[in-house]
Amino acid sequence: MKTLSQLKEDFWPIGCVWLRYFDVYRKNWIYGLVTTFVEPLLYLLSFGYGLGTMIGSVEENGISVTYRQFVFAGFVAQSCLFQGFFEAAYGSFVRMYYQKIFKAMASTPITLSEVLWGELLWDATKGTLSATAILTLGSISGDLSPIGSLFAIPLCFLGALLFASLGLWMAALSQTIEQISYPQYLLVFPMFLFCGVYFPLETLPQNLQLLASFLPLTALLSLIRCLTLDFPFQIQALAVFIFWLVFMIFMSRDTMSRRLVK
Amino acid sequence: MAASLEVKNLTKSYQRKGQPPFVAVRDLSFEVMPGEIFGLLGPNGAGKSTTINCLTGFYPPTAGEILIEGFDIHQSPKKAKQHLGVCSQEDTLDTDFDVLDQMLRYGTFYRLDRFQIVKRARELLETLGLMEKSNELIENLSGGMRRKLQVARALIANPKVLVLDEPTTGLDPDARRILWQLLTDNRKLGMATLLSTHYMEEAERLCDRIAILFQGAILDLDTPQKLIEKHIGIEIIEEEIRPGVFWKRNPNLEDVFLKLTGKSLSAGEES
Ligand SMILES: Nc1ncnc2c1ncn2[C@@H]1O[C@H](COP(=O)(O)OP(=O)(O)O)[C@@H](O)[C@H]1O
Ligand SMILES: [Mg+2]
Repeated sequence: MKTLSQLKEDFWPIGCVWLRYFDVYRKNWIYGLVTTFVEPLLYLLSFGYGLGTMIGSVEENGISVTYRQFVFAGFVAQSCLFQGFFEAAYGSFVRMYYQKIFKAMASTPITLSEVLWGELLWDATKGTLSATAILTLGSISGDLSPIGSLFAIPLCFLGALLFASLGLWMAALSQTIEQISYPQYLLVFPMFLFCGVYFPLETLPQNLQLLASFLPLTALLSLIRCLTLDFPFQIQALAVFIFWLVFMIFMSRDTMSRRLVK
Repeated sequence: MAASLEVKNLTKSYQRKGQPPFVAVRDLSFEVMPGEIFGLLGPNGAGKSTTINCLTGFYPPTAGEILIEGFDIHQSPKKAKQHLGVCSQEDTLDTDFDVLDQMLRYGTFYRLDRFQIVKRARELLETLGLMEKSNELIENLSGGMRRKLQVARALIANPKVLVLDEPTTGLDPDARRILWQLLTDNRKLGMATLLSTHYMEEAERLCDRIAILFQGAILDLDTPQKLIEKHIGIEIIEEEIRPGVFWKRNPNLEDVFLKLTGKSLSAGEES
């Protein structure tokens, strides 16, 4: 067993890297607030209140909720996807390719492995910030269960970590910053539109439903709705989620290390 | 006295798709003593950056061993890198921070205490003439200033071993002179410095010993004077620099390089 002080020793360098990101975020806090919170808020107002009033209620897994509740929980997952992916994909490409600070930081007593952990944990933090904002709003408006929302915060952190890893992996595979558009249009946008943020999966054709059920956003959504809206717990969603989480973290770190270290 | 930096039989090859690996440096061995400035002199493509990326622990060597203050850079990277300052060939400044914050941030990566870092950062910026830029963003600095800042950043932890990859390439003479002075001052304090260069003048004036690197191998390793004596001799050379105009000069490292390789130092990569 490692003692607490050994653990602190192990995490200290990663914390150092994380703090570098946090300080940049804090320095440009207005920019940070706008990019983290405005987008989910706009979606909320437009879909939750605008569209929500027209649609009334929806039913999934035999449970009926208002559309606003449904889409509120959806936006929690969506903000994990968008914030995690975009910060990691574009941000890390800039840091790796243009600023070259992954290399610079790895030239100090901090190792490249620790730098990449710091990167992923920061990106996940950013996703968690905006997911938490929506959870808070949802609890205040009475749409989401407040206790469930509290438990959903660590889940959102893992969700954002998953999509941040996808972003870092895609950045590592891209030769130019423009190439990140491919996974953006071919993976992120389809997930965002077809994994059940806006409508119950049950309304999709069978094949598409099956395909969607294996995607990470669907799994995350199912778990978030389970916590915040009392939807039934689906063990297969948890399995799919854990599989993608572990897989993406491994692929992102491995591919980025290979890209940098020859 | 124990060497600060030891390189034993370093070989590095790059994997290539569908082709056999490319051996970029072959069986290099040398050491740098405390208070010594050691130069890797070679043209573009000689293998200087490859060597340096292995020394700093960024690339794993294909074979061989690298010790910094006795610590193997790949076995115990954290202990080794605690004594190491690195300035890469590429610009790796963190453009999200201003000049002073940049220095402080890197100091924290070495776990130095805040007071110590601030003091050291100010000293270095002062010495390099960057003090009045200390709150300036990186993008507002000239190329020479960026380079000086990157060297200053490498020195923030007062490392025992300093590694610089072509620190003065593209620098104006003034900035170059300031950097040379800084390196000479550090030498007096016992710092071991390894720098790569393709400037013969820099190698001759600054370096205590030089390894001539060509196509990934060390052709010879000695003090600049000995290299010249050994390969060219000490006699004055007379050259016809323009038709009918003769010019007398001392033999230099360029002559050594030309003799050893048949190529000029300033020639680029032949491929
Ligand atoms: N990542 C790489 N993959 C394959 N070959 C490389 C790589 N990096 C450098 N090389 C080759 O290795 C040789 C040495 O390069 P380098 O160490 O950069 O030389 P220098 O720094 O002396 O200019 C060159 O022929 C270069 O093309
Ligand atoms: Mg080079």
